[in-house]
Amino acid sequence: MNPIKQTEKPSSNSKMDYAPEYQPESHRHPLFKSIWLTALSFSYAYRANILSLILGILFGFLLSRTGATTFDFHAKLFLFENLQLLIVIGTSMVTTSIGLVLLKRYHVNSLVTGTEVDFVKKPYQKGLIGGSVLFGIGWAMTASCPGTIAAMMGEGKISGLFVISGLLLGTMAYGVLQAFISHEARHSEKSKE
Amino acid sequence: MDVFVWNPWFGGFMMGLFIILHFWMIGKPAGCSTGYGNICGIVCKKISYFHQGEYSEKNNPKLWLLVGIPIGGFLAAATSGTPWQLSFDMGMYNDILPQSFAAKGIWLIFGGILLGFGARLAGACTTGHALVGGAMMNPPSLLAAAIFFSSAIITTQLLFL
Repeated sequence: MNPIKQTEKPSSNSKMDYAPEYQPESHRHPLFKSIWLTALSFSYAYRANILSLILGILFGFLLSRTGATTFDFHAKLFLFENLQLLIVIGTSMVTTSIGLVLLKRYHVNSLVTGTEVDFVKKPYQKGLIGGSVLFGIGWAMTASCPGTIAAMMGEGKISGLFVISGLLLGTMAYGVLQAFISHEARHSEKSKE
Repeated sequence: MDVFVWNPWFGGFMMGLFIILHFWMIGKPAGCSTGYGNICGIVCKKISYFHQGEYSEKNNPKLWLLVGIPIGGFLAAATSGTPWQLSFDMGMYNDILPQSFAAKGIWLIFGGILLGFGARLAGACTTGHALVGGAMMNPPSLLAAAIFFSSAIITTQLLFL
């Protein structure tokens, strides 16, 4: 009956429009039910981020358990003394490629988007070779890569704090460089015209 | 402080399962280094690069994956037998890195800058190029993985000479 009352007075600007008796039924729930409904709609709206957070926790745990956060494994891998990490990466690549073949064959839908999984591949970009060389030098210098460094911080390794601040600075430097290049390109186009 | 480490074959298998799980749940390849750009964009409002393209929406799954990783690392360290503690022990690197605290910090920050800049220049890090791109047999990723492995091998050999 409330909606009818509401439609009876559509044009009135009085405060009575917002009085409790004119609110639709769905707005008047007991406190706990409304909290529950809010939590439910929040977790549905942000389901990608929440799932991602859980996956991140799992990834950090796995990185630590596979030995990717131990400095000695990185050093020994590059000195060919202990191939722990190479075996981990190789086994993981084989497992993943088998899994991806299955995902493709059965056209599995993604949990979050509800559409087929997007196997977008990183394209070749300018600077891939130079960037990879720099990345490799950084990897050897710090015995960590962008994923493991976050897990190292969680483990209480103080060196992670330094590396992560450097990493943010490096990312920032790339952003500044890109902004500068695009600005220059726009500027030179204007001057040509 | 030692963390408990699995057998590499089992660990690699679990890592592969994780990547498949990530593909199935999120619907996109997993990536680590892209998330650092989100943090830069949140901190720095004026740099246009961090507000367009893949960074136009910054509160995205890549950022939250990055937030989760330290929590996972903490859980792994807390459940590996020895109590959780802060440490500056770098194992084999203790002998070859500069000895003073400040010099070590500068060395690590410089290495971090190379990691961050190189990862953006190459498009992805070890996770994106080796674990995910290598499994998809993507030629640029395989090239990048081969280059950063060989460059890391050369640098480490020189460091431990």
